[in-house]
Amino acid sequence: MTDRRRINGPVGATIPPVFEDTLTQELKAVKKRSRPPNAIRKMYLKTGVTPSASGSAYLEIETTGKPGVSGLKLSCSVHGPRSLPRSSPFSPHMVLSTHVKYAPFATNKRRGYLRDPIERDLGTHLEAALRGAIIADRWPKSGVDIIISIVEGDQDRETSKFQGDEMWDMMNALSGCITVASAALADAGIDCVDTVAGGVAALVQESGDDSTSPNIVVDPIPSEHDKILAACCVAYLPTRDEITNLWFKGDLPASEMELYTKMVEKGIQASRHANRVLIECLTETIG
Amino acid sequence: MPITIIAPRPSRPINDPEDVVSDMSYDSEDESTDGGADLEGDIPMKSSGTSRSRGPRLFSKTDSDIVTPGELITSDPQFMRGHGTYLSHSQLQQGGDDNGPQAAIISSVAGTLTRTNKLLSVRPLRARYAPEVGDLVVGRITEVQARRWRVDVGAAQLASLPLSAINLPGGILRKRTETDELQIRTFFAEGDLLVAEVQQLFGDGGAVLHTRSLRYGKLRNGVFVAVAGMGGSEGGGVVRSRRQVWTMETAHGGGPVDVILGVNGYVWISKHVETATSGEAEAKTGITNMEEGVSATMYSSQNDRIGVETMREIARLRGVVTALVENGLRVDEDMVTRGYHEAVEMALVSADGVDDIYLGGEKGQQLAATLTGR
Amino acid sequence: MASAQHVLLSPAELAYLHSSLSLTPPIRPDGRTPTQFRPLVAETGILPGTNGSARICFADGTEAIVGVKAEVEKTRSRHDDETVFVEGAGDDGEEEETDDITRTGESDWIELTVEIPGLRDDDSATAFLAAMLSEALLADGGLVKRLWINRRFHWKLYLDIILISPPLSYPLPLLSLTTHLALLSTRLPRLKSEGDEDPFFDDDWAAAPYLYPRQQTATPTAKSAPRSPATRPPITLLVMAVANNILFDPSKEELAVADAALAVSVTSSTRSDENDDGDGDDSMDVKEKKGRNLRLLSIRTVDPPSRLTPPGVANSSNAAYGVAGNGNGKATEGRTAVAEGEAVVEGVWRAPRGGAKRAVMAALVQKALERGGVVDEVFDALEGVELG
Repeated sequence: MTDRRRINGPVGATIPPVFEDTLTQELKAVKKRSRPPNAIRKMYLKTGVTPSASGSAYLEIETTGKPGVSGLKLSCSVHGPRSLPRSSPFSPHMVLSTHVKYAPFATNKRRGYLRDPIERDLGTHLEAALRGAIIADRWPKSGVDIIISIVEGDQDRETSKFQGDEMWDMMNALSGCITVASAALADAGIDCVDTVAGGVAALVQESGDDSTSPNIVVDPIPSEHDKILAACCVAYLPTRDEITNLWFKGDLPASEMELYTKMVEKGIQASRHANRVLIECLTETIG
Repeated sequence: MPITIIAPRPSRPINDPEDVVSDMSYDSEDESTDGGADLEGDIPMKSSGTSRSRGPRLFSKTDSDIVTPGELITSDPQFMRGHGTYLSHSQLQQGGDDNGPQAAIISSVAGTLTRTNKLLSVRPLRARYAPEVGDLVVGRITEVQARRWRVDVGAAQLASLPLSAINLPGGILRKRTETDELQIRTFFAEGDLLVAEVQQLFGDGGAVLHTRSLRYGKLRNGVFVAVAGMGGSEGGGVVRSRRQVWTMETAHGGGPVDVILGVNGYVWISKHVETATSGEAEAKTGITNMEEGVSATMYSSQNDRIGVETMREIARLRGVVTALVENGLRVDEDMVTRGYHEAVEMALVSADGVDDIYLGGEKGQQLAATLTGR
Repeated sequence: MASAQHVLLSPAELAYLHSSLSLTPPIRPDGRTPTQFRPLVAETGILPGTNGSARICFADGTEAIVGVKAEVEKTRSRHDDETVFVEGAGDDGEEEETDDITRTGESDWIELTVEIPGLRDDDSATAFLAAMLSEALLADGGLVKRLWINRRFHWKLYLDIILISPPLSYPLPLLSLTTHLALLSTRLPRLKSEGDEDPFFDDDWAAAPYLYPRQQTATPTAKSAPRSPATRPPITLLVMAVANNILFDPSKEELAVADAALAVSVTSSTRSDENDDGDGDDSMDVKEKKGRNLRLLSIRTVDPPSRLTPPGVANSSNAAYGVAGNGNGKATEGRTAVAEGEAVVEGVWRAPRGGAKRAVMAALVQKALERGGVVDEVFDALEGVELG
């Protein structure tokens, strides 16, 4: 689908430049994951960044320190609750609509202005994650729009050559979206049963040592690992101990269910970490 | 076996006896080489004698005569045009008849021709429910407006239920006030199911319902199933019959269960609840008393406690109704009751015991075969 | 999203459904057992103009058709491939060795579209379904590898999934099973050219190999399934939880009272040697006899429409309840009062709040992946469908 209203840059036809790096050896060293397997990256979260919206939040996740790698930068605004348009049918609950949009420049491959299927898919995931958290029957006949722009998409400039990286990036983006939307919802004063935050865990295999079994890491950066076998993104309510959204993909033998269970556990752990930041941020704003 | 995958089969077996019935119409069609592909409809076909009018269908020998749209039924002026037909003046002139311009009755739907004295009408093989005054229908509220509800009854248009056509709680008789309008959703809200009667019809086919009787009102304690409604002349579905609502005693301690067959094809099966007003004595008292005795639970959306046995038998009944429809049988009190007893018998010999209430697929066919005696 | 297809059910119906599904064993409205699927009619190879096709329909009239078409497409040469390409063109002997390594595919070699009548094609529900189905196809990278022709060309596979009837229930399992059968019946023309030259193909359709190659009849023990392919296309199942029960293939009404719903994608492969080398040879044989190694490809939470259902009103707070002749105006707050009240009254429907417990989620996946469980039987049944 092309947008005829704007003059688009070439989509897909160009190859992002990859610069010859004299320090390849040095980079390889940086490339490895420096964090412990169950530590997430540092993040910065601030609410109330968009005064015109009813609620808003901004989330930034640090880069790895390696040049050419951008972190994840998300901005979320919440509009509403506001009355539904006249034409829409009666709803005993709040009607939630979520929009996730990558900025055209957020990823290696430029994106158009219209939402592509990936962004729509992220939107539905986010909706499922938030729907479990909000108390929708407090706000009958009203609607809320949650709009997230991904300003920078957490992509390594060099990763374009690796196949399938994009799909793992989506997991990280979704987990960030969930956390930032939860903060913005709280900022907008919409009733929630709990604060929901996203966490990602992945099963990775390092090619260097074939002997070792794959291990599970939280908050993976695809470029830091040789091969990601599977990943899962969890939206988790810590005080209720409930999962509102679970997204797993990869390739896992069904006989190794304990691996799957461990991954979900790690995902929950990552989500708990993110939630601590979220709580801290909210108390700071109020206090 | 969690999944059954059936190989497709032709919709009707070849050499089906039913084919013979329509043989006559094939004969005449064969004469024109282009068969049904008479694209320029107003050019008379060159075939001799019979042409497109295969002789007035009215006088054919078969009982249930199937006509298709555009087919000439009769040119005899003594007949009147009914549903599913239209009058045409051109048809005869082309046919080369010498009787001069005369109105011919032509079918406008595919269905069976019926004749009531001088009235000719065609009942379509499949049609949506067409409401008639006095029909008992089961409907679902789709929209709440200021002074009325819009109700889905499976017809071409939403039926309307005015606020003035319901019983107020406690059976008070008074004019509906603004307060009632404001709390209209406490009576019926979107999604609620109700049983009502068609009180009046608009010219455009829209129906007005009323629930001003103790038998009508909000439905609870049961399950809903939508089947093909009244309107089709062939095949399955709910048909208008003497009793649309009855209470039946179920097996295995299920207790009494109410079945409501809406004429529109919406069916409600629920646990029978004894109300204070359901006794015979109440019915004899005057209208005022009856209104006062309106059940307190009239607008309740809270279910009573329902036993496991009752739930199982309700599900079994639901299975019977779906099996009847899937196998093209009519749904009425007799069929449902017989089907239910048959299903109970089938469960007794089933490997899974009386708990086996599944009546889909082959089991449904088996049930239907037993009922039709085939 | 599941919630987009709004199910309008009355609170009384929902409460009844929920309580009957919460029983042990649950009583489903159509009398099925918890693991039982609705009976379906399936056939493959229905569209002669495609490389593979299938049709599945349910007794209630829900019907889906999938057509698979393949086109030869030039592989976009990428920056980092260039060196390899030049090397390979000059030396044939080396190509043999590198063949396995270069046989990689890209995810955009498969284009999957879903069409559901009544929904816009850019609707998020459609996008979600398409993403879920293609995610499962791409997850193990096995399918795209098969589309590789040579270094310069590949097959582009178009999967067009069309739901013919309006969606009477959440169409995911139906679409997934149809796609599975269509892919099984898909054949690509036999390649006659060699190496990296422009590909040309055998005209003889009968000689065209299946995309999912059939297993050799060499296995003497498994006489029953000699023609079954080694690896099979994935299937996606819908599993839902109500109270302590886990139900498969839920109907629309059942989904409307779900506490949680998951879409689980699995595939099966009998080639066990390359995946777990650790196991001994005899254990391998055991697995061979059992039939298949299930592999988990993806799990997605499906937002159950239950959260959007209208709540019931308890009799105690119902303004229209009882003989309220004296004060009609007083009890107007009844509805909101109940919405606020946390007390759960039996027989009154309340839309679930919050998420699903961890244990419930785990149980859903566990149940779906059980060895010899539902998935196995579904694969068995699908194997029985004759390929046209």
